[in-house]
Amino acid sequence: MISPKLVEVGRHTNIELITCSEVKDVEGDPGNFAVTLSNHPRYIDPVKCTGCGECARHCPVTAVNGYNLKLDDRRATYIEYAQAVPLAFSIDTDTCIGCGLCENMCIAKAVEYDDTERETRLTVGSVVMAAGSRGFDPSGLDYLGYGRYPNVVTSEEFERILSASGPYFGHLMRPLDREEPKRIAWLQCVGSRDKNRCGNGYCSSVCCMYAVKEAMIAKEHAHGDLDCVVFNMDMRTFGKDYELYYNRAKDKDGVTFLKARIHSVTEVPDRGDLIVKYADDTGRMQEEIFSMVVLSIGLQVQPDAAELAQRLGIELNEYNFVKTDTFAPVTTSRPGFYTCGVLQGPKDIPGSITEASAAAWAAGADLVEGRGTDIPKIEVPEQRDVTQEEPRIGVFVCNCGINIGGIVDVPAVREYAATLPGVAFSDDNLFTCSQDTQDKIKDVITEHRLNRVVVASCSPKTHAAMFMETLEACGLNKYLFEMANIRNQNSWIHSADSDVATQKAKDLVRMSVARAARLRTLNEKVVPINKKALVIGGGIAGMNAAIGLGDQGFETVLLERESELGGFARNLHHTIEGGDIQAYVNETVDKVNAHDKVEVITKARITGAEGFKGSFSTEIEMGEAKEKRAIDHGVILVATGANEYQPTEFLYGEDDRVVTQVELTDRLHDKGASDLDAVVMIQCVGSRNEEHENCSRICCQSAVKNALEIKKQSPDTQVFVLYRDIRTYGLLEDYYTEAREKGVIFIRFDKDTPPRVTAEADALRVTVKDHILQQDVEIRTDLLALSAGLRAADTDDVSSIMKFNRNPEGYFIEAHVKLRPVDMPSEGVFLCGTAHGPKLITETIAQAQAAASRATTFLAKDAIKLSAITAKVDTEHCVKCLTCVRSCPFGVPQFNTEKMEIEINEALCHGCGVCTAVCPRQVIGLSFYEDDQLMCKIDALLDAEVV
Amino acid sequence: MIVAKRKPFDEIMELLQDYKKVLTVGCGTCVAVCLAGGEKEVAVLNSELDMARKLADNPIELGSTTLERQCDREYLDELASKVDEYDALLSMACGVGIQFLAERYPEKPVLPAVDTSGLAVNQSVGFYEERCRSCQQCVLGWTGGICPVTMCAKGLYNGPCGGTNLGSCEIDPEQPCAWYMIHERLAKQGRIDNIKNICSAVGWKDTVPRTLIQPGYKKPEEEGA
Repeated sequence: MISPKLVEVGRHTNIELITCSEVKDVEGDPGNFAVTLSNHPRYIDPVKCTGCGECARHCPVTAVNGYNLKLDDRRATYIEYAQAVPLAFSIDTDTCIGCGLCENMCIAKAVEYDDTERETRLTVGSVVMAAGSRGFDPSGLDYLGYGRYPNVVTSEEFERILSASGPYFGHLMRPLDREEPKRIAWLQCVGSRDKNRCGNGYCSSVCCMYAVKEAMIAKEHAHGDLDCVVFNMDMRTFGKDYELYYNRAKDKDGVTFLKARIHSVTEVPDRGDLIVKYADDTGRMQEEIFSMVVLSIGLQVQPDAAELAQRLGIELNEYNFVKTDTFAPVTTSRPGFYTCGVLQGPKDIPGSITEASAAAWAAGADLVEGRGTDIPKIEVPEQRDVTQEEPRIGVFVCNCGINIGGIVDVPAVREYAATLPGVAFSDDNLFTCSQDTQDKIKDVITEHRLNRVVVASCSPKTHAAMFMETLEACGLNKYLFEMANIRNQNSWIHSADSDVATQKAKDLVRMSVARAARLRTLNEKVVPINKKALVIGGGIAGMNAAIGLGDQGFETVLLERESELGGFARNLHHTIEGGDIQAYVNETVDKVNAHDKVEVITKARITGAEGFKGSFSTEIEMGEAKEKRAIDHGVILVATGANEYQPTEFLYGEDDRVVTQVELTDRLHDKGASDLDAVVMIQCVGSRNEEHENCSRICCQSAVKNALEIKKQSPDTQVFVLYRDIRTYGLLEDYYTEAREKGVIFIRFDKDTPPRVTAEADALRVTVKDHILQQDVEIRTDLLALSAGLRAADTDDVSSIMKFNRNPEGYFIEAHVKLRPVDMPSEGVFLCGTAHGPKLITETIAQAQAAASRATTFLAKDAIKLSAITAKVDTEHCVKCLTCVRSCPFGVPQFNTEKMEIEINEALCHGCGVCTAVCPRQVIGLSFYEDDQLMCKIDALLDAEVV
Repeated sequence: MIVAKRKPFDEIMELLQDYKKVLTVGCGTCVAVCLAGGEKEVAVLNSELDMARKLADNPIELGSTTLERQCDREYLDELASKVDEYDALLSMACGVGIQFLAERYPEKPVLPAVDTSGLAVNQSVGFYEERCRSCQQCVLGWTGGICPVTMCAKGLYNGPCGGTNLGSCEIDPEQPCAWYMIHERLAKQGRIDNIKNICSAVGWKDTVPRTLIQPGYKKPEEEGA
């Protein structure tokens, strides 16, 4: 998952990557900071190093592998992991014995034993702190036996054990005897929610979910029945669709979840099994034996990161997370400094990515005047027309140091290539990907008037884009390029048999040459980008997105369905931290109305839409008169929001003593709580049930917030919260702790035995089964507050007119749940706020800024080049069976009801080829992968005579 | 739409075992749409046959073509120049097309490569559900648009049998009772009285091949009359 991101960062022309370095100091002001870096010696020049790994193979020194959390070994000359960026080795001088073998082996001459610590300076305009966290070290918690018993591992270690690139190559084994475990226990909240033993009062937010995931993957990897038990206080699966996953683990895949905090873990002598002692629901002590125990360790800011933050003058909270304001989630106390990810507070991957985009927005908004001034310009010569020429193919065979050359007879492959039809030139290179070889290829293309290029080396996944750029740089169409992977698919596999490997390399080259001869020039359509944005929805998310885009200098139209801006936040009073929501909304409304780049249209309704990324056109009706208007724009930001569920349960609507949490807040604001003897709250109303399986994320904190408010206004009022799991994730946990300290009583109930409510003249009677007493408890109360979940706003019109997909609960679907939480599947369309899923105001603001950031990345360009690899329908022979329409993962093929034919919009097509493959009449072609361009490879492979 | 399913491969192999040169004829309409007999399936079947026959040391030469429709004479005529080159024709059309192809080229063995299963709706890619048995006596007007002939295991015309079980059919709890569904829908539409309408049984005894002539059209031989 992370690998493409690493490659993107490594190749990005706007990103300068400085590794092996630390920030010593930052001086100056926003817009002009002077950064002092200390660059640690790496001892291998990352520019010269090609990552071939020959140095590590010859290094005689064994060192502990920190990447696999000390579960296995590596060499002193090493790379952390195979996908590392930059793909360059370094020498660990703590273990290196200075034998000189690696220096002798390195053909690229990259080893520099005399490399030294240096100090460099940088000038930057803004700074983003994203130092992240490390897993909590459980060594100090003696009762868990970590460090003493080999089969007690941390969740991070277990993650490496399950990984194919990990110490046991993905085989499920326990460290002591490398036996496959039969029973595994996960112990939650190790280093989290624990002020007593480790001082970390917060919830780490991610451990429940990763424990469920680890249990599920362990079950997949196990050969027999694997028994998985997760010991927890509350299961906190509050993210989008997380509850579905938890339910699947619990109900379908047989993972057991037990509510207990562990008393102790001890080892069964000689066997390595572990005895886990805990008190069950009724308070009785239980003992169970497991083959392995996984400690679900929490997230913790590293001391050196905290030290750095303090050195730079950034305020931290009591747990060393960077202090931010509820309404400015990525802004630190030092102007020009922003933060994101776990350094700001515990959060999961989508949350971190969202904040990262928000921080990029904030850092960029300060520097908007300078945008584009520091970017290298790439000049591309005019394209040569080769359509009338016979194929003149150049074949470049790579040695990849000795990765290929050490096994395959590369000169023989080169000579063989020269005999193939259409080949005008062939050569072999030490490293075909090195800069000097690229220059050489350019010269050869021009000198020999080559019109097709084949590189026989490694994976196109990592290198094709670069070679295609080389073709473009000397005027050759980039689609006249083909790769043969003679490393990953050949020399690495057949390293034991040189002859076989050489023969297979010839076969692969012959296939690629055959395909190259059939490649055709493809031209990428250039679409100019309309630099205007459309934001749909004028709540907190929409307003922040519009301001965000306006601040980045882009004209923005903000559409609101109602007659005034503000959205659902108009119904709220304070955040749990005490932030004044009404003041914030009013201030934001004023700001957006006054913004010279933002046009606000209220009472707006979308009536028509067409176009694609960079060039959309949306028709609206606005105002009382339903005046029609068409808006042309380049991007769309969806911020349609959500509302509080209107319950049908627990006498709501029948008895006015039953209210929702939002209504309770109103009441506390208007009348206070002094007239109330008791208040009962029921959690998960309209959430986590059959109709709405997911958790609404925010209701636990709403309940705690209101409970604290009641206790503040009227300490004698009794407050009972009836709950299933309290999900006060992250720093919200402190408020839950405070509520318990203030005397709020929390009673857990089971999904299957919900509380019962009956109305009496003078009070409401709530009956709930207490799990400790194993008896019904009756509470007489003046007021019952239902923690009603969220419901996505009614977006039937937007969804059907603009063709945006929603999940069954009505929330819009993002491009990728983990990696692209702000992008929608269609390019140029972004998503923020509760339209995406339930979230807090601070999370909404971060996502709105993130959406503005993602849109800015798009709008900053003047034009986009569409990929030339797209599907085309032969409409004359198409039978309109709709198989393509129903199969396309991106929903691109559509039946045009006017023309009565299937259309595939090339601007929207991702070129994945699914429709081409499924078309029963074979009338959909995919450029660059036409039938003849693929079949010829098979023919060439089977054409044994040529060999 | 007419839906069909490819025959088991072994059965097709058996049908073809004595022929050395065969033309596989796809049909570009219903069976293409239901992913049983369009260009793609013709290509897939031919590749499979080619490999299997090579492995069996009994190589076969295969041609392929897909006609617009095998139930129209004009499209079948396209094959006239090719047919003589082959020992047999393998049709991937529905039963109608297969027979019409055999009728058009009576001197050639015509073999079926698919089993025709009925008239169905497309519920999802590759998933079809039967909705009509073409009984020639449509009662959908009285039954809330739900066909008792197709949806009821017994094809009952006048209410459910004793096997109706809380909305399910006795043959399978997953199979809804057609008459239960009819009752529910009619009740919802406020025309439950329709259920009392007695439908007479279909005259299945006269099951000779049926013909259909749209109003305003005539049989060709009557054209001049």
